[in-house]
Amino acid sequence: MTQHALAAGQRSSWLPPLPVIGAKLLELRRRRVLMIVTVAFTVALPVIFYGVRLAFHLGDPARYAPAGAPSAFATAVTVMDEFGFIIAVTLGVTAGTADVTDGMFRHLVITGRSRLALYLARIPAGLSILLSLAAVGFTVACLVTGFLGSPLPAGAVTPSPGAMADAGLWLELDLVIAFTVGLGLGSLMGQRTVPVILLIVLEIIITPIMSNHVLPYFIDGQRLLVGVAMDQLKPAVLAGGTRIGPGGSIGLNIPPMPTWAMASVIAGWIIGWSAIGAWKMSTRDA
Amino acid sequence: MRTNPAVHARASTPPASQAAPDRDGGWAVEVHGLTKRFGARTAVDNVDLLVPRGCAFGYLGPNGAGKTTLIRVLLGLTRADSGTMSLLGIPVPSRRRDALARVGAIVDEPRFHGHLTGRENLKILAAARGGNAGQQIAPALARTRLTERADDKVSAYSMGMRQRLGLAACLLADPQLLILDEPMNGLDPAGMHEMRDMIRDLADEGRTVMLSSHLLDEVQRTCDQVAIVDHGQVIRQGPIEDLTAGAGVAIEVQCSDPPAAARALGQPAFATRVTITGDGLTVTLAAGSGREQAAEITRRLVGAGITIYSLQQTHASLEDWFLSVTSRFGEEK
Repeated sequence: MTQHALAAGQRSSWLPPLPVIGAKLLELRRRRVLMIVTVAFTVALPVIFYGVRLAFHLGDPARYAPAGAPSAFATAVTVMDEFGFIIAVTLGVTAGTADVTDGMFRHLVITGRSRLALYLARIPAGLSILLSLAAVGFTVACLVTGFLGSPLPAGAVTPSPGAMADAGLWLELDLVIAFTVGLGLGSLMGQRTVPVILLIVLEIIITPIMSNHVLPYFIDGQRLLVGVAMDQLKPAVLAGGTRIGPGGSIGLNIPPMPTWAMASVIAGWIIGWSAIGAWKMSTRDA
Repeated sequence: MRTNPAVHARASTPPASQAAPDRDGGWAVEVHGLTKRFGARTAVDNVDLLVPRGCAFGYLGPNGAGKTTLIRVLLGLTRADSGTMSLLGIPVPSRRRDALARVGAIVDEPRFHGHLTGRENLKILAAARGGNAGQQIAPALARTRLTERADDKVSAYSMGMRQRLGLAACLLADPQLLILDEPMNGLDPAGMHEMRDMIRDLADEGRTVMLSSHLLDEVQRTCDQVAIVDHGQVIRQGPIEDLTAGAGVAIEVQCSDPPAAARALGQPAFATRVTITGDGLTVTLAAGSGREQAAEITRRLVGAGITIYSLQQTHASLEDWFLSVTSRFGEEK
């Protein structure tokens, strides 16, 4: 079999090979402004947050709790999640639209590579950037909480490693959702601005309203929002040591969802938007 | 939809003078009955096209004639409404990926990721191609004379450099067939000359180069064969010499009173067109005309008291032929 015949066979696979994923990773990480903003909100943000807390505590230990207090951990991760969601959406939308808006999509299609493989390559490429940076920021939060948490305020308990791991997984899951939804919506719309605005509105306006207010006869509709499901899945440690999550109701005024329902809604959003994005990519005129 | 049986009949039958298909039984590009519509508008109208292997083939037509649409359909960038196609003997779109393994193409203005360097853009395309395409990056850059600027961001490239980068991207496939859509667009004269040389070199290596253009002079200089497309239909195709020979000759007359000379000539049966120029007339003769007709022109003008300063017979250029066939086509509509 010739080299080119072999290549043609490989190109028909819907599974993206590592070089294709690497190529997309290269394209994304060379976007200087996007990378600076991503690092700022995933790594620099918790570093600055804890730096300020540490300075306050050192300046007035009686008035300010240690930087590693459980409440600080909950605040840091919640802030990382809010900003991380926006960054993940922006990165996802960029990954989903850059080839089209930059005019590369046509060149890529002409290579004969499966369009589905080209789409799927964007997911590991974008997530490898996003999740690794978020993990660095989260590690900072864990280290500060683990080593700079004493003396603890009265009644407070340092989160266990398992509880912190839960919080980290929840944070990463939220970023995965934001990225894949942004990727799918961006691919569908073929432009960056509107999808980013729509998803920010979803995150900071619609989801809080739907999470905290029961709309008559619409409770099941509210539960279909991924943000509502994620809020109900939120680990207890992120409420500053108070229990929430499946069966809990801290800060949430709608009846709790069963775990299977939460998992279904979350999986539905990830798979559904990925399918929509892949379909558009496969049928788009280049 | 417009119909023109005479033109269709001519377009549907490969010209006798056209080269036979390669001995492996396939044409580089073979298209039958291809139609592509955008709503009510028919962009490509029942086109038949045969491109022999190993030649530079011009796909010529005015802007909006359907050239780019046909190329996009061939490459699977958009879907055809009807018709059958093959590239290098491999049917598309059913086996598009196999067919594109040895095809390189530039469609419209070549655009790339502006925040990446030329080399990085090629790396992305080589990764998508797979195989040994990555090893072709350096030779492709060298061949298109981009090695020195390969590590500059594409956003800093001129139009000509982007065209060359587009050609370098084509070369990653070590292509047997190159499809270039308006490759001279936006190039200065030096850039056109350079691109023309590169295209000729590629054809001389035995690769098939199919280029679309509305620049007739460039096609005449670059290509061995040509197809003319207008309003989505292929009007003629074949070797340039054969086609332009069929267009006849022109007689350029410098004379004292061009309008009076035109009136004196009237519309003789042997001429397809009489055009008043600045200092005389251009009389386009039908195919097969020659010396006798030139003599008749002289007799008529002298008889009308027109002073003739010079009378010169010229062969019709591709442009003359193109204008004559497209205008004739227009008159038949």
